[in-house]
Amino acid sequence: MTAVGPDTRPHADLDPHGTLPARRRAPLGRLLRSELRWIFRRPRTLVVLALLAALPVITGIAVDLTFDGAAAPAPTGGPGPGGSGPGEGPPIFVTMASSAFVLPLGSLMTLLILLLPLTVAMASGDALAGEQSTGALRGWLLAPVARGRLLLVKAVGVLVVALAAATLVATSGLVTGLVLSGTDGLVSMSGTRLSVADVLLRLAIAVAWATVYLMAVGAVALAISASTEHPMLVVVSVLGGLIVSGVLLQISALDWLHPYLLPTSLTSLADLIRDPLALDGLAEGAFRSLCYLVIGMSLAYARLTTRDG
Amino acid sequence: MRPRTKALVAAGSGIAAGLAGLALTTLPAGADDDPVLPAIEPEALVASALAAEPQAFSGQAEVSNELGLPALPGVDALDFESARVFHDGQESARVQLEKPTSEVTFVKNPDEAWAYDSQERAARHVTWDDADAAAAREHAEAQLADPAQAAAQLIEQLRPTSEIVVDGTASVAGRAAYELVLTPKPSEKTLLREVTVAIDEQTRMPLAFDVYANGRTDPVLSLGFTELDLGAQDPTLFDFTPPQGTKVETTDASDAAGHGAGKDSAGKDKAAERMAEHSTTMVGDGWDAVVIADLPSDLPADLPADMPAGMPEGAFGGGQDLAGTLAQIGQPVSGAFGSGTHVGIAVGGAIVTDDGRVAAGAVPQQVLVDALDQQ
Repeated sequence: MTAVGPDTRPHADLDPHGTLPARRRAPLGRLLRSELRWIFRRPRTLVVLALLAALPVITGIAVDLTFDGAAAPAPTGGPGPGGSGPGEGPPIFVTMASSAFVLPLGSLMTLLILLLPLTVAMASGDALAGEQSTGALRGWLLAPVARGRLLLVKAVGVLVVALAAATLVATSGLVTGLVLSGTDGLVSMSGTRLSVADVLLRLAIAVAWATVYLMAVGAVALAISASTEHPMLVVVSVLGGLIVSGVLLQISALDWLHPYLLPTSLTSLADLIRDPLALDGLAEGAFRSLCYLVIGMSLAYARLTTRDG
Repeated sequence: MRPRTKALVAAGSGIAAGLAGLALTTLPAGADDDPVLPAIEPEALVASALAAEPQAFSGQAEVSNELGLPALPGVDALDFESARVFHDGQESARVQLEKPTSEVTFVKNPDEAWAYDSQERAARHVTWDDADAAAAREHAEAQLADPAQAAAQLIEQLRPTSEIVVDGTASVAGRAAYELVLTPKPSEKTLLREVTVAIDEQTRMPLAFDVYANGRTDPVLSLGFTELDLGAQDPTLFDFTPPQGTKVETTDASDAAGHGAGKDSAGKDKAAERMAEHSTTMVGDGWDAVVIADLPSDLPADLPADMPAGMPEGAFGGGQDLAGTLAQIGQPVSGAFGSGTHVGIAVGGAIVTDDGRVAAGAVPQQVLVDALDQQ
C-alpha cells in the first residue's frame, strides 16, 4: 500500500492572485471522508465485517437444525440434579430457538464478548499505530490539522466501524430469524408477545448500546495505538484486557472491583428481552462505557499532542 | 513545553473524571443518611403495618440468600438476582424473577395464576373456584419475592413470642422507613437470632426484610426493594397468555396445594404442611414451633421430567428416589421416635423419619428429635 495520506496540502487550491496562501484549516468533512475511504478500502476491514455478518446466520441455522425448527426446550440431563446448575442456564438463543428477536440480540451479546471488541481494536490499531508504521501519520502530523481534530477524525473512523459492525450483526440476525421463523417467537423472557415495532425498537437500543460499548473499547485502543507503532500490539492489549477482566469478573471475592470493569455491563443487554422494558442496567452500562471513553480519549489526546512527526 | 503541559492537563483531568464516574456507579442506590422520623411505639407500628391499605406499586426487589439450601431440584427457587414486582393494590400481582439468561414470571389475578419459566418454555396454570381462592392465594410462591407480603405474614406469626422494638430508621429504596426488629424471647429454642423489617413511614408497607441466624453477622436471608414507585399499574400486566410453543400444565388449586412450594424463611415447613394437609401437628409455638406431618402416601414417585427448574414443587421432587436423595443431603439421626434423616439449613431443618413422617422448623436438630419423641 502506498502511503499517500489525505490530500491536505494548503496550496492544493491556490487563489488566482498568486499571493501566498494563508494557512488554512483543512475542512473537517473532507478529512472524515478520506479517513472513511481508507478504512473501508482495507480488505481486512471488509473481511472481518463479512465474518461478523455471517456468524448470526450460522448460529440461527445451527439452532434451527438442532431443534428442527420447533420451539423445543433445551434438553435436560434426564433425572438427576435438574439440568443446569444454578445461575448458569444455556445461552438465551438455545432456550428460545431461532426467533427474529432473540437471534440478533443473542448474537450481539455473544460477539460483544470478544469478536466485536477485537474488530474495533483492529480499526483503532490501524488508525494511529498502523499509519505510524507505514509513515502515513507523518502527513497528518505535518499537515495544518490540529492534533485534537486529528484524534477526532480517527475516533469518528473507529466509531463508524463500531456502528457498522454492531448494525451488521443485528441486521443479519434479524433477517436470518425472519427467514427461519417469520414473526413467530417474538416473545420476551417474561412470556409476553412483542409487536414487530417493539422488537425493532429494542434492537435499535441494543445496537446503540453496543456501539457506545465498542467505542469505549475503541477509545482505550486508540490511547494504546497513539503510543506504539505496532497495530498488533493494540489488538493484543485489548484482548489481554478483556480476558483479564473476564477472569476478575469470575472471582466473587473481588466484588468491589467489578463496577470498574467494562465487561461488567454486558449482562445488562439481557434486560432487553424482559418485559416491561427496564433500562436501568443499560443506562449504568452506557455510563460506565462513557467513563472509559473519557479516560481513553484524554490519554490518546495527551499522547498525540506531544508526538512529533 | 506548552503541548506537554496541555497533555498532562488533558490526561490528568480525563482520568480523574473517568475514575470519578466509575466510582459513582459503585455507590449503592439509596445509601442516604438515616432519615429523622417521629418516634413510634412498636405495637403501633406493627398494627399500622398490618392495617395498611395495600398500595398499587411497581418495584425492584433484591434477594441475597445464604440459607445453605441443599442442592435439590426445586429448591433453586430462590436462585435469582432480583425480582420485579408489580401490584395493583388489590388481588392482582406480577412478579418477575430475573436470572442472568432467563426469567420466571408469576402472574396472579382474581381468576387464575400463572407461572412461566422462559428457560424451560413451560408454564403452570392454576385455576380455582371462589371457594378455593384462599388456598390459591397461598400458592403463589411469588409472594416470597414480594417483601410486603412476606414480611406482613411473618410479623403476624411472630408477635406472641417475640420482643419487638423499633430500632431507629433507615432509607430503603430512597424512602424513609422505620426499622422494626423482632427478637425471639429467650425461652425460644430457635436458630434464628433476629428478624429486621423496614417499614415505610408513609405507606406503612414493609420495604425490606432481613433474617439473621445465630453465630452469623450477615443476614442469611435478605430481601427488600431497591426501587419503589407508587401509583396505578397498567392492567395488562396482570393478564398472561403463554407464548406459542409453551408446555402448559393446568392444575386446579386444590391439587396445586399439594405441590405448591411455599418455602418461607423457616425452611420447608410450609411445603411439608401442604404435602400433608390431612395430618399435621404443631409441637410448640412461635419461633421454635415444629411442624410434624405424614408424608403423603400418594407422593408422586416420578414427577414429570419437564418440571421446570425453579418452579414451585414440593420439598422433594424431580423424579428422584426420595430415600436416595435424603441420604445424599442429610445425616442419619435416631431417637425414641425411631430413626430418620436430618437435613439442616442455616435457619432450621427437617427430619424425615423412616416411617414416613416429616418434622420441620427453624430449630436445631435436637428440638426436632424431642418434638418427634413427644408425638
